[in-house]
Amino acid sequence: MASDPHDLPLNRRAFLKLAGAAGVAAGCSPRAATQKVIPYVVPPEDIVPGTPLYYRTTCRECPAGCGVTARTREGRAVKLEGNPEDPVGRGALCARGQAALQALYHPDRFIGPVRRRGATLAACGWEEAQEALLAAIAAARARGPGRVRLLTRPEPGTAGELQRAFMRAAGARPADRVVLEPLDPAPLRQAARALFGRAEVPAYDLAAARSVVAFGADFLETWLSPVELTRGLSTGRGRTGEARTRLTWVGPRLALTGVSSDRWLRARAGGEPAVALGLLREVLDPRAAVAGVPADLRALQPRLAAVAPAEIEAAAGIPYAAIAALAHELTRRRPSALLGPGPASQGPDATRLAALLLLLDLALGNVGRTVRFGADPGLDPPSSAAEVDGLLASLSAGEVDVLLVHHADPLGTLPAALRAAEALGQVPLVASFATRPDATTARAHLVLPDHHALESFGDVSPRRGVVALSQPVMTPLHGTRPASQVLLDVGRRLPGGEAEVPWTDFGALVRQRDLERAQRAGASDAATASRDAFQRGGRYEAAPAPAPVALAPDAASAAVALPRAAAARAAGELDLVLFPTVLRGDGRSADLPWLREIPDALSTVSWTAWAELSPATAARLGVAAGDLLALDGAAGRVELPAYVYPGLRDDAVAVPLGGAEALALAPAARDPSGGRVLASRVRVARAGRRGRLPVLEGSPYQHGQEIVPAVTAAAPSVPRPDLSARMYPEPRHPEHRWALAIDLDRCTGCEACVVACFAENNVPVMGPEAADQGRYMGWLRIERYLGEEPGGELDVRLLPMMCQQCSSAPCEPVCPVYATYHTAEGLSAQVYNRCVGTRYCSNNCPYKVRTFNWRDVRFERPLDMQLNPDVTVRARGVMEKCTFCVQRIRYGEGQARAEGRPVVDGEIVPACAQTCAAEAIVFGDANDPASRVARLATGPRGFRALEELGTGPAVTYLARVRAPEDES
Amino acid sequence: MSPNPRPSPTRLERAVLAMHGRPGPGYLLLLALCGGLVAWGAYAFYLLFTQGLQLTGLGRPVGWGNLICNFVFWVGIAHCGTLISAILFLFRARFRTAVYRVAEMMTVFAVMTAGLFPVFHLGRPWLAYWLMPYPNQRGLWINFRSPLVWDVFAVSTYLTVSVVFLLVGAAPDAAALRDATTGLRRRLYALLAFGWRGTDEQWRHYTRAYLFLAGFATPLVVSVHSVVSWDFAVSLLPGWHSSLFPPYFVAGAILSGVAMVITILVPLRRAFHLEDIITPHHLDMLSRLVVLTSLIVGYAYLTEFGLALPQPASDPERATFLYRATGHYAPFFWTMVTCNCVLPLLLLARRVRRAAWALVAVCVLINVGMWLERWVIIVTSLSHDRLPFAWRTYAPRWPEWALTFGALGWFFLLFLVGLKVLPPISIAEMKEAQAHAAAPSGTGTLAVEVSHVA
Repeated sequence: MASDPHDLPLNRRAFLKLAGAAGVAAGCSPRAATQKVIPYVVPPEDIVPGTPLYYRTTCRECPAGCGVTARTREGRAVKLEGNPEDPVGRGALCARGQAALQALYHPDRFIGPVRRRGATLAACGWEEAQEALLAAIAAARARGPGRVRLLTRPEPGTAGELQRAFMRAAGARPADRVVLEPLDPAPLRQAARALFGRAEVPAYDLAAARSVVAFGADFLETWLSPVELTRGLSTGRGRTGEARTRLTWVGPRLALTGVSSDRWLRARAGGEPAVALGLLREVLDPRAAVAGVPADLRALQPRLAAVAPAEIEAAAGIPYAAIAALAHELTRRRPSALLGPGPASQGPDATRLAALLLLLDLALGNVGRTVRFGADPGLDPPSSAAEVDGLLASLSAGEVDVLLVHHADPLGTLPAALRAAEALGQVPLVASFATRPDATTARAHLVLPDHHALESFGDVSPRRGVVALSQPVMTPLHGTRPASQVLLDVGRRLPGGEAEVPWTDFGALVRQRDLERAQRAGASDAATASRDAFQRGGRYEAAPAPAPVALAPDAASAAVALPRAAAARAAGELDLVLFPTVLRGDGRSADLPWLREIPDALSTVSWTAWAELSPATAARLGVAAGDLLALDGAAGRVELPAYVYPGLRDDAVAVPLGGAEALALAPAARDPSGGRVLASRVRVARAGRRGRLPVLEGSPYQHGQEIVPAVTAAAPSVPRPDLSARMYPEPRHPEHRWALAIDLDRCTGCEACVVACFAENNVPVMGPEAADQGRYMGWLRIERYLGEEPGGELDVRLLPMMCQQCSSAPCEPVCPVYATYHTAEGLSAQVYNRCVGTRYCSNNCPYKVRTFNWRDVRFERPLDMQLNPDVTVRARGVMEKCTFCVQRIRYGEGQARAEGRPVVDGEIVPACAQTCAAEAIVFGDANDPASRVARLATGPRGFRALEELGTGPAVTYLARVRAPEDES
Repeated sequence: MSPNPRPSPTRLERAVLAMHGRPGPGYLLLLALCGGLVAWGAYAFYLLFTQGLQLTGLGRPVGWGNLICNFVFWVGIAHCGTLISAILFLFRARFRTAVYRVAEMMTVFAVMTAGLFPVFHLGRPWLAYWLMPYPNQRGLWINFRSPLVWDVFAVSTYLTVSVVFLLVGAAPDAAALRDATTGLRRRLYALLAFGWRGTDEQWRHYTRAYLFLAGFATPLVVSVHSVVSWDFAVSLLPGWHSSLFPPYFVAGAILSGVAMVITILVPLRRAFHLEDIITPHHLDMLSRLVVLTSLIVGYAYLTEFGLALPQPASDPERATFLYRATGHYAPFFWTMVTCNCVLPLLLLARRVRRAAWALVAVCVLINVGMWLERWVIIVTSLSHDRLPFAWRTYAPRWPEWALTFGALGWFFLLFLVGLKVLPPISIAEMKEAQAHAAAPSGTGTLAVEVSHVA
């Protein structure tokens, strides 16, 4: 019975007493006194608390130059995403690009200039630092040319222009500025120069190619412009039937890029040129009747025909029939694209390999269609290995007084055999502009820390028709100064410097240059046009028409020769394959926590380098995964934990690049055209101890369960279990049913989605010990299966695994406190502050996608500044998992409601789908039959993980397509 | 029936009172040992409480380990008390009289041990009370579909009923002790005697109440461990999801409970010279119970494997059972089979049943086996779920062992203290039994006869 409110026992007096007591109690709380919330006295322009503000800028993690949209909240960058208007990345950003944010908030960053005092670097003022630099350069300049050298990353833009002007002011010759790009595809550039007279790297249009053959070129990971090339391949993978792009991988090791391939030719290390030669032999064969082959090229046919298939077979290490079959496919499926060499195939014949591939492209009519010359602006091509080695020789000889190191880390990216450390030791002043300590700053005398890229102005032109602009997205965190500004200031003060360096402010110079571009483009209001360009992220013009190329017959003739036969192998020696990975890159960002924490997609190893052996080799050596291997090469000796990988030839051992271990093994040799040689041989033996090898995988085999099915042309749909018999009604989702569709035929395992998830959802980094114990906190993992059973056929399949947001979620009924429950929109919600931590939900989850907070995680300043304020930081003892980025769903729904309209399909995008270069992840409302996700999910390739359990996942996977084996 | 000479009533009282006398050095040593174990466990829990479960060996996919295993183990131990005191009472199994008090004490203390572990294992143990349905202004409620909530009810009900059963059963004895002691002890026994004066009226009510309580407690013997087994059986995990679990768990619980009773009784009768009260006959009867339940448990093992192995090779259930028997944890599995199914068969030999120390050895090993059984069920199933990519093994770390052995210490500490407080042998019922034996025709007036003694 409802009682009369006047009869309530709480009268006015009692209420006041209680209120007073509560007020006093609240006032006594120890935290109340220290926490202050102060409103802005003068609110900064554009900043509305709680509302994200986006800035466009450019990624500088690799030379590809993808556009970036930086999301800022309350004046600090919280997430990096691609720039949808940028033709390079088109809205996607790779794992390393996104992790650049962690370099911004890196706790080890230099917060101001430091100067060497004895063994340590001690803080000094900017005045002192610049004066010291000025004095040293002025003195060196007086001693003649060549006494000042600059080692820089490629700067194809205003920064490069300024550097050259500065070097002129410092009395240096043009060659004194050396451009270091550790993973530069130099052989390709050399071959193009020799064959076509164009020292440039062609642009590849993979979307137009029907067949792609990669010779160790990991174009889905690090090679050239991985985001752009991934999208190109993915476009071809979106086509069905015969038109679906077919990818062939050639090399001793099946790299992650090779996992996306339809065929793997297990050429021996160094056998790739022989494969290419065999292909050319078959393509030029009159029986192949390939039309449109240039006469100069056709003239080589008799010489090619003279090479015996047996010789090719011996050099390549694979049957000639496989090469002939691939050649047959290429003649049938045109246009195609032949890519290479990549770091994994950068042997002594790499330039010859590059030349053969270009000749093949020419013969098959790919040049001008899928392989386009004329796009490389050539503004700041990386120096050749010979030039870099020349610089080191000068340093060692004491010919250099001042070495400026600008975003290059010779000690951390060059083979140890080059003895760069000793060379640097001969230089009286090594000045670095690094933002955080690296191997080179450990030997520098002066560090003048640059702003992070997200704090600076800049421009780069990764290709003709694209000028990618950078602008600060937030106030600099520390007392750093733009490196270009330092060069400008110092250069002006050198004798006669003002003539060479007539500018005063680098940021103004960048803006001025863009204004000039706007004027050149004929903008009526150049200032507005330039501001628009900065807001858009750059100036994008249509790609230039491909430049016609003319073949130099002599060079072509020189390329057509069987590579030197492999030298006899000494006992215990294996071919060393150094391969780049998408997370480790060239090693300059390998210390960023996300990139270390997230397991490599292929080996699932995190936090350490490893050495791969094939199962047969591991068995022969008596090695199990995790045993330490001693690798002994001509260049050096390292010990690495072994990882057993069936995707490697038995005569090879593979070590990832991007760390000191690979550099210790890399030879000092150069190929005849001046390129870096990464291939060598090492003796491999058991070290007799166990190493730490944190792996994410339990078993890499499907054990007959067919967890990740694939479809073929003959069987184009996945058999689905009959789930019609149900005891309980399906939960109803009256308004929305959020769902994901993941196309496994497009997914490359590039891990960009995983990094995006870490950044968006404040997922903590736990460290190697936690990884060892199964306490990796990632909400999204790439499951990788190598085949059905150990020792069976190698059949790599990837499965991005996140919370499946089941309709009948096994996790929900077992929670005693309703910390997890089913929402009306189909999400399996997790209420962190209700969770008591029984972990029953995780035990009962067949997908094992829930992660538990085994300990407190602290984000200490400045790490806390990266946290996404829209997502709770979880406490110790609670369970967490993928939410489909519920904060983004709510934001999108709120926007739609505010505008009085329904949510539009594609408007809400979770972080993983947003950054997927392959567009493999599609999010939407399954209730709307017209939505992309609903249409994809009902397609024949659709299947759900462990569907027979009847959990009703909201994630539909589209099965990988297996290309038919025999090419008819 | 018993071949031993029947002890006289005065011998009984003297024996019990002797147990409550000044503790000997052996007792104090045991007390210190148990106290030390408890302190070790308490320290481990302090660390878990302040630093989180990172100190355990748990991870993903194995989210439960030693701690939940201990919970199930101690709930299992708790079973036998009610079985002996209630079910055997209803079935008029005379041999229970000498041993049921020890069994009941064991029950209460084992539930008190078991109840700790669901709290210990929580990520946020300070919020354990959120599993209780209590009205609160936040409008939060518990999820009655969760087996963990059923556990809360099952275990708390079981604790309440067994405490009531123990105290009611002990009231006449407490009254006897009240009259024989002075000072603080007298006050304590006055409290425990609930105003017992031994009148006819009280005896009439008492026997009624005891019968009702026995009837009330009997279904709990089946229900508690059935509910605990549902923690596993209602899940989706291969190796857990089985309709066999409730009877299988109950049989296992009785096996381990009876084994624990024997493990305690044999040293007890030796230490307090109760050989004439707790006779080889009693142990013999308990041993037979062990053999029976062991056969049921063995049958359950066979059934599990018999159902799983004929499945197709890709069946996860089959894979899990093969993993159990041949995988990483196979040594534990085979130890478990040996301890639970093979060793108890030795008790088929009367010679072993009558050799007290052989009996104890077998019973201790049975409990090792039963602990391993729970561990094998929990850990092998979790570490080998459907997605092979997520497989990972688990090894407990020292805080989990500290809590495991701390619990053992806690249980025996309670028991040691309990021995000094309650008569471990029911004086009243023993005398009643003697009266029965003295009047073979059975007159129905024994309550009156016994009451004179009390």
